[in-house]
Amino acid sequence: MKKNILFVFSIFFMATSVFAQNTQKRTKEGHKNQNKFRQLKDVLATPNNQHTASGAPGKAYSQQKVDYTMDIVLNDNKQKITGNETITYHNNSEDELTYLWVQLDQNVRASDSKTPDISSGKIPKKLSKNRFDRAFPEESFDGGFKITSVSNADGSKLSYTINQTMMRINLLKPLASGETFKFSINWWYNINNHRTLGGRSGFEHFPKDGNNNYVIAQFYPRMCVYDNVEGWQNDQFWGRSEFALEFGDFNVNITVPADHMLGATGVLQNEKEVLSSKELKRLATARKTYDNPVIIRTQKEAEEIEQNRSNKTKTWQFQAKNVRDYAFATSRKFIWDAMAVDINGKNVMAYSLYSKEANPLYGEHSTRAVAQTLKTYSKYTFDYPYHKAISVDGQMGMEYPQICFNPGRPNADGTYSDRTKYRMIKVTIHEVGHNFFPMIVNSDERQWTWMDEGLNSYMEMLAELDYDKNFPITRGYPKNIVKYMSGDQSKIAPIMSKGDNVYSFGNNAYGKPATALWILRETIMGKELFDHAFATYSKRWKFKHPTPADFFRSMEDASAMDLDWFWRGWFYSTDVTDIGVKGVKKFYTHKNSDGSVSFNEDTASGLGYSKKHSKYHYEITYNKPGGLVMPIIVQFTYKDGTKEKKTYPAQIWRYNDKEISKVFSSDKEIENITIDPDLETADVDTSNNSWPKKTTTKFDKFKNKIKG
Amino acid sequence: MKKAFILFFILPLFSFSVHKYYISLTEIEYKEETQSVQMIMNVFIDDIETAINKDYNVDLQLTTKRESKKVDDHFFNYLKEHFIVKINNQNVIYRFIGKEYDGDIVYFYLEIDNILSLKSIEIQNNVLIKHFSGQQNLIKASIKKERKSLFLDKKNDKGLLKF
Repeated sequence: MKKNILFVFSIFFMATSVFAQNTQKRTKEGHKNQNKFRQLKDVLATPNNQHTASGAPGKAYSQQKVDYTMDIVLNDNKQKITGNETITYHNNSEDELTYLWVQLDQNVRASDSKTPDISSGKIPKKLSKNRFDRAFPEESFDGGFKITSVSNADGSKLSYTINQTMMRINLLKPLASGETFKFSINWWYNINNHRTLGGRSGFEHFPKDGNNNYVIAQFYPRMCVYDNVEGWQNDQFWGRSEFALEFGDFNVNITVPADHMLGATGVLQNEKEVLSSKELKRLATARKTYDNPVIIRTQKEAEEIEQNRSNKTKTWQFQAKNVRDYAFATSRKFIWDAMAVDINGKNVMAYSLYSKEANPLYGEHSTRAVAQTLKTYSKYTFDYPYHKAISVDGQMGMEYPQICFNPGRPNADGTYSDRTKYRMIKVTIHEVGHNFFPMIVNSDERQWTWMDEGLNSYMEMLAELDYDKNFPITRGYPKNIVKYMSGDQSKIAPIMSKGDNVYSFGNNAYGKPATALWILRETIMGKELFDHAFATYSKRWKFKHPTPADFFRSMEDASAMDLDWFWRGWFYSTDVTDIGVKGVKKFYTHKNSDGSVSFNEDTASGLGYSKKHSKYHYEITYNKPGGLVMPIIVQFTYKDGTKEKKTYPAQIWRYNDKEISKVFSSDKEIENITIDPDLETADVDTSNNSWPKKTTTKFDKFKNKIKG
Repeated sequence: MKKAFILFFILPLFSFSVHKYYISLTEIEYKEETQSVQMIMNVFIDDIETAINKDYNVDLQLTTKRESKKVDDHFFNYLKEHFIVKINNQNVIYRFIGKEYDGDIVYFYLEIDNILSLKSIEIQNNVLIKHFSGQQNLIKASIKKERKSLFLDKKNDKGLLKF
C-alpha cells in the first residue's frame, strides 16, 4: 500500500514539473551535465585491450620482467654496503626501447639531492639539543649511490646518464619487442642511521653494546616500470611517494659478519651453512607448529652473541621468484621466532626478528600478528602465494616483499601499555598486509598512494577485528574521518592526487580511502557484493599492475552496482556528507463519496497527531547541505518505543541535489525521526539529523552520565 | 647553510601506518535556557600526554592502569594556560566538567556559567603548539543558530567571533 502512494506522488511531481517548463518561454543559457550521477567516462582512461572496460587485464596485457643476480657485502664497521648486480631485462611490450631507466633511490640522501630544496623552512625560536645537533651537524652525511661501473654483459662500458634519482641506460641499439638485455652495475653507499636521519631503511645504533640493527632496502639500482599507462615511470623519488617496480626473479648472496642473524626476501638456499644444528632442529619443529611461536634463537643466545664481534663473515644465499623488490635485515642482536600458518592447506611460515630491547612485546605479539594478517587477507583476496612473511623490530613502519620493518618497544622494565601493544600489532598487520597491496597487487605507488595504502588500511581493519574483536580501531570508521573531512578545505586534497602533493597525507591516502571502502561494504553494497567484487579485483590484478580505473571498474563490473557517483564524490572531490531533516508535515485520509481519497493535514505542532487514525502519513523533507550524494538512512521511532530503519539509495538525489520530499506511512504514530543513527556515512554535522530537533546536546548527555 | 636546513625536514616514515596529523577541534555552543556556554575540545591522547609530561615533568600513562590519579588536574591546568576565553570582551573562567576517551582521542568538557547574552567570543588557543609546530586548533561556534569557525595555529593563535 505504501508503495502505491509513493508512486502516485511521484507521478504528480513529474506532471507539475512538465507544466512549469512550458510556461517559461525566455531563451536561457544552457549548461553541461553537472548531475552527480553522470558516468565517469570523461575522467577515466579509455579502456583498451590491456586495461579493459570490465576492469580486468585484457588479451594484450603485458608487463616487463626483470631478473637480478646480486652479490652484496655489508661492512658493519663502516656501515657501508657494496654491491654488484646483473640485470636481465625482458622487453615483453610491443614497443622498441631506445633506452632503459633505473631508479637510484639512495640519491634522495645525496649531497646534491633536491628533496630538501622543495621544502620550505623557518628559523625556530628554540631547539632541543638533540634536534639542534641533528639540524646543524658537524659533518653532513655523505649519502647516495656511488656508482663504480655500468657495463655490458661482455664487460665493455655502457653509456648512462644520471638525473637525480633516475639513471638512463643509453642502449647502443634499440631493444626490440620480445628481446632481452643483460647488463651489470657495481656500486657502494654509506648506510644512513634511520633513527637520526630518517629513511625507509638504514641502521639503528645501540650505544650500550655497540651493535647495529640493519634494516636494508632500496639498496640496489632497480629498474623502473615501463607500461602503456605511464610509458617509463621515471618520476623522481622525492622521499614520500613510494615505488613502482616490475616483477622478476632474484638470486642474491649477502655477506655479513659471521655472528649475524639475517632475514631476507626469498628462499634460503644454504640453511645448513648459516644456521646452527640446534637452530635447524628448532626450525623443523616450528614448521609443524601452528598454535604458538617456536623460538629458534633465544634471547639468552642473542645476548651472548651481541657481547662479541666475529671478524669472519658468512654469505647467505637466497632465491626469490616473482617478487617486485628485495630487502633484508641483519644483526648480532636478533632473537628469532617462527610459527607455521595453514593457508588453505599450504604451509606458510610467520617469522619475527627482534632485539632484546623489543622483547617481550615482540615475542608475545609479533609472529601472531603476522599469522593473523596472512589468514585474514588470504580469506578476502587470494591465498598468500609466498612461503614466508617476516616482521622485523626495525623501529619504523615499512614494507617489502616477505619482510617488513615495524615499530614498538616495551618500557625498560619489560612492561608495556595497551596503547604500545595495539600500535605495534596494528603497524605489523598493516606492513605485513602490504604483501598483498602493493607487493602482489602491484599498483603504482609513485603515482597513487591510496591504491595500496587505502586498500591496505581497509583490509587491516578486518585483520585487526579477527585478531581481537575489541581491537581499538582508530582509523577507517566513518565517524573517525569527520574531523578531517570537515576541516579547512584549503588544506584538503581529493584522494585522486599524487602523494607528494597532498596535505594531511595520512588522512588523504590512508584514512579516507579506507573509510570509503568500509562505507561501500557496510552501507552501500553490502558485505556479500563488496567482498566478491574486492576479491575479483585482487585476483584479477595479482602479479600485475592495476590502475585506479581497473579498481573502480572491477568493483562495478562484479557487483552490478553503478558506483561512478561514489568514486566521483569520495575520490575525485573534497565534498562532505551532511544530510538533515528540514521539516515534516502530517496527513490523514478521508474517503470521499465518489471513492476518491483526500489527504488532510494535521497542523498540531511536533510529530504528534491531534486525533487517532488507522493510518498516519508523513511528508518528510530531507535537505543536503553537504556536497556528497549518499544514501539517506532514517530511523523512525514509534510512540510505543519500537523502531524501524529505512535506507533510501543515494540515487534519491538525482533530480534535486539540495532537497527532496518523501512520504512515509504507517499504522503507528512516530515520535522521533533520526538520520544516520549509527554514524555510517561520515555526516559532518549531526545537529540537523533529528526531528523534532534534539535539545539535549552531547554535552548535556556527558554531564548526566558523570553525575551517575 | 643549506645542508643545515635540510634536516629540519627529516624524511618522514610515511609508510608508517600511524600517520599523524596535528589538529584539535573545539565545539562551542551557547545554551540560552541555562545561560551557559558549553565547550567540547578534542585532542589526540598521545600528543596531550607528551605536552603535559614535558611541561609539568610528570608521567601520565594515559588510558593505562597506571594512569595518574591527578590526571584531571593536569588537564585543567594545562587548558587554563593554553586555552583562554573572553566573552563580550571580558575574561571568563570555565569549569572542567570532565574528560572522555574515545580511541586515540580525548574529549574535554568545559562549561561557562552565567552568560546572560553572548555578543562576542574571543579565543586564544595554543594547545600543543609548543611541542607540535604544525598543530592546528579548529574552533567551531554555534550561537543562536549562527555558526562561525576559526582556524588557529602557530602564526595566529587568537581569534574573535561576533554574533
